[in-house]
Amino acid sequence: MAGGASGEPGPGAAAGSAVPETQEHLFKVLVIGELGVGKTSIIKRYVHQLFSQHYRATIGVDFALKVLNWDSKTLVRLQLWDIAGQERFGNMTRVYYKEAVGAFVVFDISRGSTFEAVLKWKNDLDSKVQLPNGIAIPTVLLANKCDQNNDSGHSPSQMDQFCKENGFTGWFETSAKDNINIDEAVRFLVENILANHKNFPNEDDVDKIKLDQDTLRAESKSQCC
Amino acid sequence: MADKLPSEFDVVVIGTGLPESIVAAACSRSGQSVLHVDSRSYYGGNWASFSFSGLLSWIKEYQEESDGDEWAAWQELVLEAEEGIALRKKDQTIQHVEVICYASQDSDEHVEEVGAVQKNPAFVTSASSNDPPDSTGTACSDTSELTAPLSEPETSQEVPDVDATLGNENHVGDADCSESPLEQEKAENVPVGEAVVDVPKKNRITYSQIVKEGRRFNIDLTSKLLYSRGLLTDLLIKSSVSRYAEFKNVTRILGYREGNVLQVPCSRADVFNSKKLTMVEKRMLMKFLTFCLDYEQKPEDYKVYEECPFSEYLKTQKLTPSLQHFVLHSIAMTSEGSTSTLDGLRETQNFLRCLGRYGNTPFLFPLYGQGELPQCFCRMCAVFGGTYCLSHAVQCLVVDKESGKCKAIIDHFGQRISAKYFIVEDSYLTEKTCSNVAYRQISRAVLITDRSVLKADSDQQTSILTVPPEEPGSVAVRVVEFCSSTMTCMKGTYLVHLTCPSSKKTAREDLESVVQKLFVPYAEAELENEEVEKPNLLWALYFNMRDSSGIDRDSYNDLPSNVYVCSGPDCSLGNKNAVQQHQMPVMQAFEINLRTRYSQDVQESSRTIYQGDPWLNSIIVSFSALPYLCTGVQNDSLGRSELWKVDMIWLPTRPAFLKETAPHSSQKA
Repeated sequence: MAGGASGEPGPGAAAGSAVPETQEHLFKVLVIGELGVGKTSIIKRYVHQLFSQHYRATIGVDFALKVLNWDSKTLVRLQLWDIAGQERFGNMTRVYYKEAVGAFVVFDISRGSTFEAVLKWKNDLDSKVQLPNGIAIPTVLLANKCDQNNDSGHSPSQMDQFCKENGFTGWFETSAKDNINIDEAVRFLVENILANHKNFPNEDDVDKIKLDQDTLRAESKSQCC
Repeated sequence: MADKLPSEFDVVVIGTGLPESIVAAACSRSGQSVLHVDSRSYYGGNWASFSFSGLLSWIKEYQEESDGDEWAAWQELVLEAEEGIALRKKDQTIQHVEVICYASQDSDEHVEEVGAVQKNPAFVTSASSNDPPDSTGTACSDTSELTAPLSEPETSQEVPDVDATLGNENHVGDADCSESPLEQEKAENVPVGEAVVDVPKKNRITYSQIVKEGRRFNIDLTSKLLYSRGLLTDLLIKSSVSRYAEFKNVTRILGYREGNVLQVPCSRADVFNSKKLTMVEKRMLMKFLTFCLDYEQKPEDYKVYEECPFSEYLKTQKLTPSLQHFVLHSIAMTSEGSTSTLDGLRETQNFLRCLGRYGNTPFLFPLYGQGELPQCFCRMCAVFGGTYCLSHAVQCLVVDKESGKCKAIIDHFGQRISAKYFIVEDSYLTEKTCSNVAYRQISRAVLITDRSVLKADSDQQTSILTVPPEEPGSVAVRVVEFCSSTMTCMKGTYLVHLTCPSSKKTAREDLESVVQKLFVPYAEAELENEEVEKPNLLWALYFNMRDSSGIDRDSYNDLPSNVYVCSGPDCSLGNKNAVQQHQMPVMQAFEINLRTRYSQDVQESSRTIYQGDPWLNSIIVSFSALPYLCTGVQNDSLGRSELWKVDMIWLPTRPAFLKETAPHSSQKA
């Protein structure tokens, strides 16, 4: 059944063979980085077009979902996984990393110390998740709060070098506040994920079982031995 | 990176095992602020799963000498009107750790797990230099030096008795192991270490390959399965925690009889497709199983035997001896003699009812190991605002002398963190608190092998096998074998877990005879014919784990009333014990009381139902009421707080295709 090749069962779905081939993808993307670098703001800006100075820890939500009409044949559902507000001491559960296909590592351009932590996050990421073929998942570095003073003291060419040396796919200066470069950064990451996806399509294991309510209900109708 | 912890919470949970994690998630979901800490650097405590290098680090941890049992400095931090209950500094629940490597170790001494950044690869790369002086072996196999009998038989049982034998073990001349039935004499002559392994045979898996592919392993410390209609499965579904994990069904139930491993037919399809059974046997078995499914309906069929052993009852049931054997050991999974007919029927019924829900056997397991489950509940807790700190030890509980209640903890930094309720996993309590507690022990073995105990068309089988006791009175050994598609071991290997209640001194003594029945040591097999029936043993680990389940609260000395103890894993196959502990805070006096009230209240749809402790109420609501919350029928009548509405928010954000394209939804047609 390979991922989500079955398109949305729209009104015309019953018409059978006439349904256009739309490819649907679900991508889990992680957003990691130190406390207060703007991870939640970036997600909120990107998904809900909102920005607020008043930061509140997100309660009860695993991820934000953005649906992208990538092109006429491709629909991308992007799950952006924030680190749950309080897993901030860096002790992420494996559940969080599991099956991610891309990541943003965010630092705050106005606080140099958050840049220093970038590699720690990258190492943690690489040690806990990788693509089925064993290579690291595409990761984009976000220099957030570019509307503020640059404290990290790195020139663009130094940043390019840094990314190259440390396995980042690329980097962007972003501002969730002024909505700078966020769409571009996501687009860049998704392009990379899609490229990976083409080369190494998900081999879906049909035996996997997802426990959920539906199974419970559907199954209670027909008792079998 | 950690900024300082807040100094106040509603609930502090110490230990990240399954029961503690369930409680933490429950508290967090019901709006309590939760601090969840573990002194270890990983989630799960004795419920954890490890990569191969992670497991080696774990083994090493238990080899290191204990540096004092208790903390020293906390006394100064306790005030006049308070006293402290010290917590344990180093875990004492694991004993008699023994490692045996059978796979050949090739010349490359500096093997590292690919991508093992965070762990301690030093241990892997230079096992010999890190070996404690009392180890019986080294990575290079200079056999002449291996014979010193270093693991003394009289080693105190209180001290973790660690005996890591990396390298090709050799017990020749070793007094206390001379009767070691794993005949190793041949192994002595097999070149290992830097010697001539230039011509590795194809498909032979070497130790360095295991190390290199170490990340592919997720090795459980505790071997359990989920009954497809068990409490844990229900809890996972109803709490939506199941969304964080994926599961598979055990594919085969195996039995062991007269030296052979056989597949036990248990579902209707199995029985009819079985080539091993005669037509008559098929009919007999079907008839009996059908009866068991609703045995209560026909009391006349078993009433007389109710108190007799189940094995005796089976003899009266027109079943051939082999069928009796399989029903007793592999379906009811009970032991000879000790189980009554009524219990046997109940277990058989439970087994049969779980069939077919997700597959042909009653059992489920999470991909990537059991260690996923505590983490799933921890994630849920964190998503609802719980604070997580690993590698964070607690020195003591601070008790207010006047009220007798616990009011705070003092952590390893000396920071005081106050809370209303405290949940502590048993292993954190000291000797002083537990002096009256009688613990049992679990014997465990973890094996890496090169093929399945029972060959089949597909090499991707997951099996459970019960090996009955050799002599009456001893215990059956439960064997669970995972293939690589369970994401718990590398391709070309199988991960085998053995579990039984301890009866002899060490896990190895308890389990080695079963290991010999089912497997052949790698080196030995190599010399024999290629056509060896039994799987080769590549690597083995034995250890004992303390079983702290089923301990009465009153057995702990001086436990303040707002401190609750969670037990570690028990020996049983299912997770009933772990799940039932989520009711732990409401156990004792509260439980019965509130539970009866709860059921009445649901009927009355009253809003002012819980007048007692609000926290206890919220726990009751969060769990007892889950069926109602999830169906969305009785939300308001339960006085559900706004928090529960989050459920409603979740629904639309959940991608439709993450749900199963229900195979059952054929009603449209």
